[in-house]
Amino acid sequence: MNACVWCGRRLGGVVTVSQLWRWGPLIKSAVCAACQTRLTPISILHCPQCGRQQTDETICRDCQRWTGPPLVNHALYVYDAAMKAYMQQYKFQGDFALRRVLQEPLRLALARETYDVLVPIPVDQATWQQRGFNQVTGWLQTQPFQQDLLVRASHKDQPQSAKDRAARLRTAQPFILAPHAADILMGQRVLLLDDVYTTGRTLRHAAAQIYLGGAKAVTSLTLAR
Amino acid sequence: MTNNEAFFGRQLPLRTAPTPELTGTPALKALGSRLQCQRCGHWLGPDDQLANQAWYCRQCLQLGRLTSQDKLYTIPEPNQSPKLANGGLTWTGELSAQQRVAAQSVLAHVQAQTNHLLWAVTGAGKTEIVYPALAWALSQGWRVAWTSPRVDVCLELAPRLQAAFADVPQTVLYGDQPQPYRYCPLTVCTTHQLLRFKAAFDLIVVDEVDAFPLATSPMLKRAIDHAQKPSGCHLYLTATPGERLQRRVARKELAVTYVPLRYHGHLLPQIDLQIAWRWREQLRRRKLPARLIHQLRGYLRAGQRFLLFVPHVADLAVVDQALHLAGITGGVTVHAADEARQEKVQAMRDQKVAFLVTTTILERGVTFPNVAVVILGGDDPVFSTAALVQIAGRVGRSAQFPTGDVTCYCHSYARRVRLARGMIARLNLQGRRQGGRP
Repeated sequence: MNACVWCGRRLGGVVTVSQLWRWGPLIKSAVCAACQTRLTPISILHCPQCGRQQTDETICRDCQRWTGPPLVNHALYVYDAAMKAYMQQYKFQGDFALRRVLQEPLRLALARETYDVLVPIPVDQATWQQRGFNQVTGWLQTQPFQQDLLVRASHKDQPQSAKDRAARLRTAQPFILAPHAADILMGQRVLLLDDVYTTGRTLRHAAAQIYLGGAKAVTSLTLAR
Repeated sequence: MTNNEAFFGRQLPLRTAPTPELTGTPALKALGSRLQCQRCGHWLGPDDQLANQAWYCRQCLQLGRLTSQDKLYTIPEPNQSPKLANGGLTWTGELSAQQRVAAQSVLAHVQAQTNHLLWAVTGAGKTEIVYPALAWALSQGWRVAWTSPRVDVCLELAPRLQAAFADVPQTVLYGDQPQPYRYCPLTVCTTHQLLRFKAAFDLIVVDEVDAFPLATSPMLKRAIDHAQKPSGCHLYLTATPGERLQRRVARKELAVTYVPLRYHGHLLPQIDLQIAWRWREQLRRRKLPARLIHQLRGYLRAGQRFLLFVPHVADLAVVDQALHLAGITGGVTVHAADEARQEKVQAMRDQKVAFLVTTTILERGVTFPNVAVVILGGDDPVFSTAALVQIAGRVGRSAQFPTGDVTCYCHSYARRVRLARGMIARLNLQGRRQGGRP
């Protein structure tokens, strides 16, 4: 069945002459044209530190308030109503098939980044049991990645998405380094991958642990900001 | 509520058994080489697998995800609710003579536990006709569900049933309701919520059985069959049964009770067909058919309020502009995603606006006293036969103003319009035999 994974409508498969000419495998899109335009990509005018969509290219107020080593984050889409609806169905209702909506955009975005090791943000054991997948690694297809971070067992009193900004910023370090992570991370350029950048708290905690593992540089990429 | 009550006639997905004596059935069952969801009947696709190798059903995801790690737990319906003397009926209204005949027939079919269709014209008082049968069923200690594919129908109906059966505990179930589930002899719910039940109800009343999405969804039809006990029966209510239901009636697979007359005893207004050749091309030049303009001006002069139906949301603005150019003002446009929809409809009810320009969202469930109806482009595929009959049924609903005009402007004499006119004519023929007045 050839249907859009998001809205369920039939996909009109149009084969062009140039596709026939190349004689390669036909690339089947997972989503219809209407769903592809539902998410809003972040344009060139964004905050150079956190990747937030703005009207100019200055560092935004949230980033100015952060102290400590700066973390450069790139984001693909604006976290708007459509993105929220997507995350609701994918993460919270657990519709794993929706991963295919963002696999191709993420592949293109990763190709533009410079890094040696890709480290996705992990989910804790209880969420893994409940959800049955890690929402971040679901978006990866064949790209190699290293699960170098683990979630502390004692963490998780409340999910990040249920807190307000102040409570998020107070969150204690939830991550520990995986055993033997230092062997992989020593002297490498690391790219962290997460779903949503909201305050930057989670990614900064993760970056701090990665630096402890001996990494040379840490940047991050998120699907939404 | 004891803990067990939550499981009576329901199928609840859980990872572990709630009490040791309950045994669950797998939520996804392998039949041949494929898995079938035991809640909604959907056959899983080859890619519906999670990262932890469990399978999950995508179709009924909205009700909470079912995976192959879950089991469905149920306790067979024990019918423990107390039997009230007259079924808890506290309604004091009076049925008209022909409503009483229909109510007798519905009651007889419910007593015989046979499936039944109540085909009552728009504005016949379907709900009240079912009251005697519902009271009898509740007096037998039956568990009853009153369900509709449309949530607004459920929400409108629940207070009426609560008033008519004041002594019967009732619960309303729909998608994002705030209250938790309660075990009650009478359940008002959307058809989707029936997926959570298994062999629970002795009688299921399906209101507006031809409405979207039930008419096109095999999942919801299966949900009705599964929520009903093997010994139970269902009662369909509609003013405009679809072709499939009509075929079942013709083949005598489904018993039917006709109510061809409205409660005030007048016949249905017939659709007056006007050919407006190439009206869409005209509309592109911001012009409406001359006869339509003439008619609407006449309505405005006479102070007659009207509804103007157009095929698509995109047409609303264009038609509004064209009306303005023709000097017909004083109305508003309404569509499904309109945030002020309720207020605009209320303004029309309060006679604050002269007319509404709308799409098919107002085809059923709304009552305005003394309106005329005009359909522009009745040959467009969005107007099904059922929709046209329902739209025509907006006219003449009150006893003070039992008649009115229904005019349909079409480019051509389309099949659906012809069938709608045929259905109204057939019902009026039956109505005339029962003494209906035009």
